[in-house]
Amino acid sequence: MNKDLNINFFKPVGDFMKKDVAMKKKLLVIWFVAVYGFLFLLKLVADPNKTVELTLNTGEKITQVSGVSFLTETQFLGFPFHYWYSSQFLIALFIFLCYVYCRFIDKLESEYDKK
Amino acid sequence: MKKMMHWGLSLFFVLMSTNAFAVADLNPEGKFKVVPAIMMIALLILFILVGVFSKAQNTEDYWAAGRGVGQIGGGMAIASNWMSAASYLGMAGLIYLKGYFAISYVLGWTGGYVLLLVLMAGQVRRYGKYTAPDFIGDRYYSTTARLMSALIVITISFVYSVGQYKGIGMMFNWIFGINYQTSVVVGTGVVLAYVLISGMLGATKNMQVQYVVIVITFFLPLFFIASKLGYFSAVPQIGYGAAVYDIGHGGNGISAAATDASYYLPFAKYTAYHWFALCITLMLGTAGLPHVIGRFYVVPRVSDARWQVVWGLFCIALVYWTAPAYAAFAKFSNLLGTAGTITPDAIVVNAAELAGLPEWFAGFLAAGGVSAAFSTVGGLLMAGSSAFAHDIYFRVLNPNASEESKMKIARVGTIILGVSIIVVALNPPALIAQITAVAFALGANTFFPLFLLGLWWSRTTKEAAIAGMVVGLVVTFGSMLIPKASILAYYIPFTSSAIVGVPLVLATMIIVSMMTPEPSSEIKELLYKVHNDE
Repeated sequence: MNKDLNINFFKPVGDFMKKDVAMKKKLLVIWFVAVYGFLFLLKLVADPNKTVELTLNTGEKITQVSGVSFLTETQFLGFPFHYWYSSQFLIALFIFLCYVYCRFIDKLESEYDKK
Repeated sequence: MKKMMHWGLSLFFVLMSTNAFAVADLNPEGKFKVVPAIMMIALLILFILVGVFSKAQNTEDYWAAGRGVGQIGGGMAIASNWMSAASYLGMAGLIYLKGYFAISYVLGWTGGYVLLLVLMAGQVRRYGKYTAPDFIGDRYYSTTARLMSALIVITISFVYSVGQYKGIGMMFNWIFGINYQTSVVVGTGVVLAYVLISGMLGATKNMQVQYVVIVITFFLPLFFIASKLGYFSAVPQIGYGAAVYDIGHGGNGISAAATDASYYLPFAKYTAYHWFALCITLMLGTAGLPHVIGRFYVVPRVSDARWQVVWGLFCIALVYWTAPAYAAFAKFSNLLGTAGTITPDAIVVNAAELAGLPEWFAGFLAAGGVSAAFSTVGGLLMAGSSAFAHDIYFRVLNPNASEESKMKIARVGTIILGVSIIVVALNPPALIAQITAVAFALGANTFFPLFLLGLWWSRTTKEAAIAGMVVGLVVTFGSMLIPKASILAYYIPFTSSAIVGVPLVLATMIIVSMMTPEPSSEIKELLYKVHNDE
């Protein structure tokens, strides 16, 4: 009984788990960047001259960019582009990522005779 | 009856006078709306009939529905179990109020499924336990952990249901003209009745029926609203985009002076930090909600458990692509200056009224909203009562309990839970979607880290699990107690506490694990098999 039984996401053991984890990592990176990377991008490209004043819950007033940029002013299917991207495209992307993973893991499991 | 109404009304005023989120009476004249009422009653009868005809035979059925539900059917059940009054009524209301910021609700409640599928669904199913506390109790070899997690399941079910009861109460109030308080009591009485006569098998069938009702009622009025307002109505989910543009820029009858650019601009009302915090909380919460994880046990094969997630997400997406359209059309009508009252939590119904559609369209929506709430409350009461009967009573208190007494305990649990929720729902503390977000924060702060580390790091110990749950509970409830004006409340909003909670719980669990003795090799071997059987 000298087999290493330890399971760690970052140190996968065996071919099956290695391939599975590699795919998981790719999908999760795409998922994270698509959602939060875009948020960051919106902030990054925002027109610095268009600002709004917000009152925080602490009572402090801050001035921040309102987010006007080519992403918000370009129309796509009638939408401001960023609005379409967030409220429609990303959801479709989520479904696609799930679909890709299911196809992948089904194939991998049959290759390794794993049920 | 009159006396009761009077008593209810005075109670209503006493309770409401102290509450910033008082429930506005949607139907102040007390008008009984005939067509919507017939629709609602017909639906209730349908749900009960479906429940009766697919009645649970024994406890195995009651909890896991005989493990015989197909992929698409299972997906529909996941979707209707998932989509609650918060999705159907609350989300559109928040988008109406907060514009682009509230798109984080839409993304949070869908994006979490990617995490759930990729990191958990298959592994949880392969581990082969019935309920979330069962998994935690076995994986962390601890009765204390099992008990704590069962109590957390009950708490999540409780908090989540409060929002649903509010939705049911508001819609009954709108349809029947009885006051909100009476509506809550009557409406939830019906949910309890059908959860009790059927079990999860009945509930699974019912969830599929409810999903169909939700989609039809949610889609149909939108075509008419879009065409009435002059937008592309063949696919109103696309057509509303132009309305969003017009709200910000003027056009189609909106003058430049009346525009509201804060509706579509990303950082006009809130900071990017808060958008991020809320979205990630809802995503992690999705991956940690016990009644969602529980749905993986009702399919026979691991592969089915995963495909169910894909179908479930697709079924959910149909509604989530649609909800922002209601918000946009309501906002548009509002800027046009159409007269009419708007209650955020009833915005979907208001949108139909503002567009000048006949009353039965709005009735359709009200009935759909109640279905959405029903299916979720059904699933939550099941999860809560099985935590009580299976995880607390059977596994800890009385391991020799007979099937019969387990069933009895499950029913008693359902009643206690169902009735106690009413008390809080009479005086709801926030908007529907916000109450629901707190339930998600709790799921994210407790179950998500426990499942994540439990499945992916075999070194995680029992002590770590217990410490993690304690920290998670403290963060979730602590964030609600922080004074509103403090700097801490800025960084940890009560709807988004997982932004701080999850990293803190993960860190706690890792540190505690390293300081306590390793789990036994049986535990590791089981986990090894889950990932890698050779």
